[in-house]
Amino acid sequence: MRLLTHNLLSSHVRGVGPRGFPPRLQATEVRINPVEFNPGFIVRMIPKVEWAALLEAAGNLHLIEVPKEPIQGYEHNEEFLRKMHHVLLEVEVLEGTLQCPESGRVFPLSRGIPNMQLRDEETET
Amino acid sequence: MTQPFPVPTLNRIPWHGPTLPRMDHAAAQLEKQHVHDVYESTAPYFSDLQSKAWPRVRQFLQEQKPGSLIADIGCGTGKYLKVNSQVHTLGCDYCAPLVEIARSRGCEVMVCDNLNLPFRDQGFDAIISIGVIHHFSTKQRRIRAIKEMARVLAPGGQLMIYVWAMEQKNRHFEKQDVLVPWNKALCSQPFSESGQLGRKQPCGRPERGHPYHPPCSACPCSVCFEGRCNSKRSHSVDCDSVLAGTCCANISKEGEEENGFYNTLGKSFRSWFSSRSLDESTLRKQIEKVRPLKSTESWANSTISIQPSRHSSFDLGHPETLSAGEQNLDEEVFVEPSQGPLEWLRAPTTCKQLNGDHPGVIRRNGDGNFLGGTNAQESCVDEDNFEESTASGSKSWRRISAADSTDSNPGDAISVEEQPNVLDSRAFMRYYHVFREGELCGLLKESVSELHILSSGNDHGNWCVIAEKRESCD
Repeated sequence: MRLLTHNLLSSHVRGVGPRGFPPRLQATEVRINPVEFNPGFIVRMIPKVEWAALLEAAGNLHLIEVPKEPIQGYEHNEEFLRKMHHVLLEVEVLEGTLQCPESGRVFPLSRGIPNMQLRDEETET
Repeated sequence: MTQPFPVPTLNRIPWHGPTLPRMDHAAAQLEKQHVHDVYESTAPYFSDLQSKAWPRVRQFLQEQKPGSLIADIGCGTGKYLKVNSQVHTLGCDYCAPLVEIARSRGCEVMVCDNLNLPFRDQGFDAIISIGVIHHFSTKQRRIRAIKEMARVLAPGGQLMIYVWAMEQKNRHFEKQDVLVPWNKALCSQPFSESGQLGRKQPCGRPERGHPYHPPCSACPCSVCFEGRCNSKRSHSVDCDSVLAGTCCANISKEGEEENGFYNTLGKSFRSWFSSRSLDESTLRKQIEKVRPLKSTESWANSTISIQPSRHSSFDLGHPETLSAGEQNLDEEVFVEPSQGPLEWLRAPTTCKQLNGDHPGVIRRNGDGNFLGGTNAQESCVDEDNFEESTASGSKSWRRISAADSTDSNPGDAISVEEQPNVLDSRAFMRYYHVFREGELCGLLKESVSELHILSSGNDHGNWCVIAEKRESCD
């Protein structure tokens, strides 16, 4: 699971609503995969990122410092874009957990695959 | 369209049927048995298959702006996840083994439930749902699945949905809710576009084209909730008032030991109607058991038809029909039909049960819930009619010829053959709610107002829709 993916995830345990975002990420195994740098792609991705969630996740993974927010003129700042490219796309969590910040429910992450299925009693339906 | 009769919960079992939460539970159970468990069990064979990627879907993905965030909800083995390298596509599926296969191909994937998507609102620029919604067994669940996707879609973002169409050129669905056998034959060797596959019949059965007469054609009950049964009915019970499951509880004693699976399934549905929980463990045992099919077989639930195989199309040496169209989105599911006549068999206890413990029915009228229950009174009445009609009405479960689905050749039966292989076609039946023309659009217009339909049409036997999330007015 990449951090870009994590940035989209939200726990859907019954009753937590928007407070299920973001799930708290813990990793026991992380891998770095080189990915071809595509500045145009990253530029377009930046506005879609929930920055606080990204900071929190990167912090939990003890990653190199991620900027607190998109810097002015980031579209042309290659250093910034490369940093974001690395954080969002090259860091892969292979083993770990995702925890609902509201309910505490823990979701497993194995072989790079998060499993966010809920048991019947936990769901909204 | 009538709404389900509102029913109180808890201990009182109302005449008008099981409670909606229990219906949802029954729906979930059906999907577990005939969608999730099947995909999970057959997943190892998917890696051998080059599943078809629909060109129109590829086009939709390629048209998305670079830098888009895209979700493929129900991604399976991930055939659409790498179509566009300029976007970030996340694949999601309920079936962990399929997700593992996608991951092994280097895709970004996760396991989750379409009914409860674990995403924040409005995160995705585009979403595809290809061959997924038709696996939900109630209208409410289908709506919920679509609404969940709409929720996680950004305003202005587009959603593409593909579902299997009821209207097919080369096969005939008489009902919308069907169980389709799994084509083990297609998985025993690599899938070949040239249709070679069709010539290799692992079990060597002769292929014959026969018309498909679902058992329901003889049955007084209607399962065409959105229309009337095409088939001739032997009595005058009004289609709209005869509800799902009238015949579902009819189980033969004579065939019981030979037809355990279907009997059990029928029993389970009966149990559901009688407010007992579905006997999941019994169902499981039957599914896992591999047994030769005998000469008679019963399908106890009139609400679901078992689809015959399309195998005859291979045998006719028309390989192009395999790739060209009218196919299930997952082409590997077709199988040779078992054999022999499908009979409407009786369980004398049915009416008694229904009248005694649980006289309930939810009256449905066109909302497509085949689990909608049965009218006990009418089923009692129908027993007599059913008796009369059995002789003439009971038809064989036949395969249609690819050439002409209306061919009538009622006399022949297909011989049974032992299938020692683990993957018993009978056991891996997948549930589908096939959509009528206009049904998907109607569903969106009626129940998902946050989506605005941009285009719709038919693509190779699938109804497809592209819809856009309306800009928020808040």
